[in-house]
Amino acid sequence: MRGEVAIVGYGRTPYSRAKPGEPVLTVDEYIAWAADLALQKAGLSKNDFDGQGLGVAHAEVAHTVNWSAATAENLGISPQILLRADQGGASAASMLIRAAAMIHAGIVDRVLVVGADTPLSIPSAAPGLPLSPERTRGVYWDFQGPFGVMGASAQFALVQTRYMYQYNLTPEQLGKIAVNARFHASLHPGAIYRKPFTMEEYLGSRMLSDPIRLLDCVPIVNGGLAYVVTSAKTARTLTDRPVYLRGFGEINNYYHGSRALPDITTTGFTQAAPQAMKAAGVTHREIDFLQPYDDYPFIAMMTIEDYGFCKKGEGGRFVEEHDLRFDGDFPLSTDGGQLSGGQPGGAIGGFMPLVEAVTQLRGEAGERQVKNARIGAACGFGGIPYGRPGRSCISLILGTEP
Amino acid sequence: MTDLSTSKPLPTITDLTRPFWSAAKNGRFVLQKCGRCATFNFHPKPWCIECGSRDLSWVDAKPFGTVYSHTVSRNVAMNSPEWQSEIPLLMCLIDLDDGARMYAQVTDCRPEDLHIGMRVEVHCVDISEDAGIPKFRPLVASAKAGAPDAA
Repeated sequence: MRGEVAIVGYGRTPYSRAKPGEPVLTVDEYIAWAADLALQKAGLSKNDFDGQGLGVAHAEVAHTVNWSAATAENLGISPQILLRADQGGASAASMLIRAAAMIHAGIVDRVLVVGADTPLSIPSAAPGLPLSPERTRGVYWDFQGPFGVMGASAQFALVQTRYMYQYNLTPEQLGKIAVNARFHASLHPGAIYRKPFTMEEYLGSRMLSDPIRLLDCVPIVNGGLAYVVTSAKTARTLTDRPVYLRGFGEINNYYHGSRALPDITTTGFTQAAPQAMKAAGVTHREIDFLQPYDDYPFIAMMTIEDYGFCKKGEGGRFVEEHDLRFDGDFPLSTDGGQLSGGQPGGAIGGFMPLVEAVTQLRGEAGERQVKNARIGAACGFGGIPYGRPGRSCISLILGTEP
Repeated sequence: MTDLSTSKPLPTITDLTRPFWSAAKNGRFVLQKCGRCATFNFHPKPWCIECGSRDLSWVDAKPFGTVYSHTVSRNVAMNSPEWQSEIPLLMCLIDLDDGARMYAQVTDCRPEDLHIGMRVEVHCVDISEDAGIPKFRPLVASAKAGAPDAA
């Protein structure tokens, strides 16, 4: 399926920290706003999706059953097929794969994929922090919340502690990823935090869940994103800069080692990334940038090594030895990532690596543009399984040529 | 007296999970064991994640384990504010002697003493009229009962 579909439009709304006095938009308004931006970029209208496809990522904010169809109703579109992803931060990437398969099969020619969430507007058991009903139902919560597990920071801290026991990793190496993300955010008008910080400030930020610091944590925002994917044939009639899907790899509920007592320091990218690169026909050296799912610097570091850019256990050293800036030898999280850009809920942050990869490959990244970017890697990483790092790992290889 | 605080989050008890909560209420530590392949499953599953058998039954488990990883939660996040009184909270992944892994709080331990490989033992704490919850504490060196089988 290499090069059979292409992304022809994308949109990312301004984000909000929902501070007092700011207008509070609903999730439906963010979806419409993001879709509007993506359609404008593609030169299409909503009516071009009657009889075609609509994809809707799940959200934590309360929504009705049949939500993808209800979203079609809100937008006044009558699609032939609906996609609905519930893979958290892998949802955007997974819907691209599903849409590509539908287009490949000749069922539809194009799909509009939308996602938005307003996690800061959810009434919460912990004031100021999101704790949605979707998180607090079922056996998964029953065996964590009452046990005292404090959300993603504690869950990932446990993975990081184990990693640091098995391999070498310094706070400075992770700090470099965080500092670099903030630097890129300073070059992205849409990032929520844009004032650069230093390594000293990173190291001095307070410990929240050892070894995870405040500046390791993703800031949550309200917002929405969208993209338009079409057949390559249609793409070429719409734009002279289609961004082709060259290859993809996906694995869900990956265990490294045994199911009962797995090694939690290796993610499913160790399977998904080689699969994607083989399908795309590219090697590591040909990849011009990596947009990881960077809700924590540690996750970005594990992604780098599980992609095979270095040996397992040497991700920290790799980060130390490479220039991660947009004009460096290993451009990483060139939009400021989620770390400094903001995460519109756990499900929608996964649109950001994809949208930034497309922005870069179209040469539309402005001050942070990677020169001559031709092939990029973008990640989806969704859900935190019990005692392990990531439920869904998706690798996408995108390119300016099919 | 055990703490009968009802402010912290309580589990929604189902027929599937009731044996676990009831046992802990009575000071016992039980796990689901597969009748076909003898795998211990945790958290509770609808079938054995190793072999797919629905023949799972709750059995008394060895109340010992080893710290696989640890963190110290220094604030309450994405959980009930009622946990504030237990901050700093020592949260671990414990590899149980029966071969399953679980999230659990370690008590009676200073944060700086917590380490991977530390041997720990279960103690059960009441959390409601219907449920108790297993927590762990460092195993005193003299307790031979905690020695790993194969070690």
